[in-house]
Amino acid sequence: MSGALLASNVLLWILVLVMGGVILALVRQIGVLYERVAPAGALVVGSGPKAGEAAPEFTVSDLANHEHRVGGKRSDDLSTLLFFLSPTCPVCKTLLPALKSISREERKWLNVLLASDGARKEHEAFVAEYRLQQFPYMLSSELGLGYRVGRLPHAVLIDPDGIIRSTGLVNSREHLESLFEANERGVATLQEYMAAEQSREEEVA
Amino acid sequence: MVDTVIALVVVLSLALLWIVAAVHKVRGFEVFAVVLADYRLIPARATRACAAAVLALELGLGTGLLLPAARSLALAGSALLLVTYAAAMAMNLYRGRRFIDCGCAGVAGHQPLSGWLVARNLLLAALALAAMLPVPARPLVWVDAITVAAAVGAAALLYATGNRLIANGPDLARLRA
Repeated sequence: MSGALLASNVLLWILVLVMGGVILALVRQIGVLYERVAPAGALVVGSGPKAGEAAPEFTVSDLANHEHRVGGKRSDDLSTLLFFLSPTCPVCKTLLPALKSISREERKWLNVLLASDGARKEHEAFVAEYRLQQFPYMLSSELGLGYRVGRLPHAVLIDPDGIIRSTGLVNSREHLESLFEANERGVATLQEYMAAEQSREEEVA
Repeated sequence: MVDTVIALVVVLSLALLWIVAAVHKVRGFEVFAVVLADYRLIPARATRACAAAVLALELGLGTGLLLPAARSLALAGSALLLVTYAAAMAMNLYRGRRFIDCGCAGVAGHQPLSGWLVARNLLLAALALAAMLPVPARPLVWVDAITVAAAVGAAALLYATGNRLIANGPDLARLRA
């Protein structure tokens, strides 16, 4: 009798654990679905415009109601750094000082734009708190969708001809700076550089 | 009447919680400092020192729960820290700073504050206090090991599920709007 009870108990525990795992997996999948439908913070894998392609064109107004054109050929010969962020993203906040110094040091050739989406009031509080008044701050879910922004913070570097030079998730200051280095070398990411080298070798062979 | 096994499950689950939390904070210390500063409860200059103190406290509680001699103290400390977190979140919800990251989903997680998180922490604190109630001594047998291991595993899965559900909340609200 006690053997039967023990067997049933162990079996039940196994079932409880398996079911716990299944429920967790389902809830995570639901979360991914929500994120894909809602633009910022979405988890979109490799389907957006890539480096070397023309940047999708948008005209968006910032929090101060000035209009900004993103993408397309620019008459002022400035490159654009489009930085997607959100007030709920701590990694984004750690990059803000770097972003400020980059915009100061590189202002001869670079125009920095911040982009996010959501309730205007929260973003205004965020701008005030982190003193981001020097940057145009745009709220537009179309922009995030157009560039297929996945996880934040996400940066897109667009040259004066409206071509994307590099794009991707940026996690650290080094990462952010590597975007510029990639731009100077004319490749989007280190991975892409390696891939290009490899395909060249294959062509030769 | 709390059985030894139930108290043990609570103690080990809390130990797991603190140790996982502390590991997350070590890995992303800089980000954790930003999260802490965003709570706007401590002077900006003290942020890093406080972040280190919180980290040490969590590690201390996690290991304290595993040592039988330190268990009651660690349980009381756990309840206190959980209530402190709940109060910090409630303060910011009250101030309307709902948009800051709660800091509970690890470094990569962007999870805004919500009333559910306050409720979650208070529930965990209540469990920690309940585990302090005196338990009748009884010899542990090997079946108890299965029960404890499986129950801690199930608790961890349920906790992760609950967190994910809370994190899904704002996205769902955005879809409904």
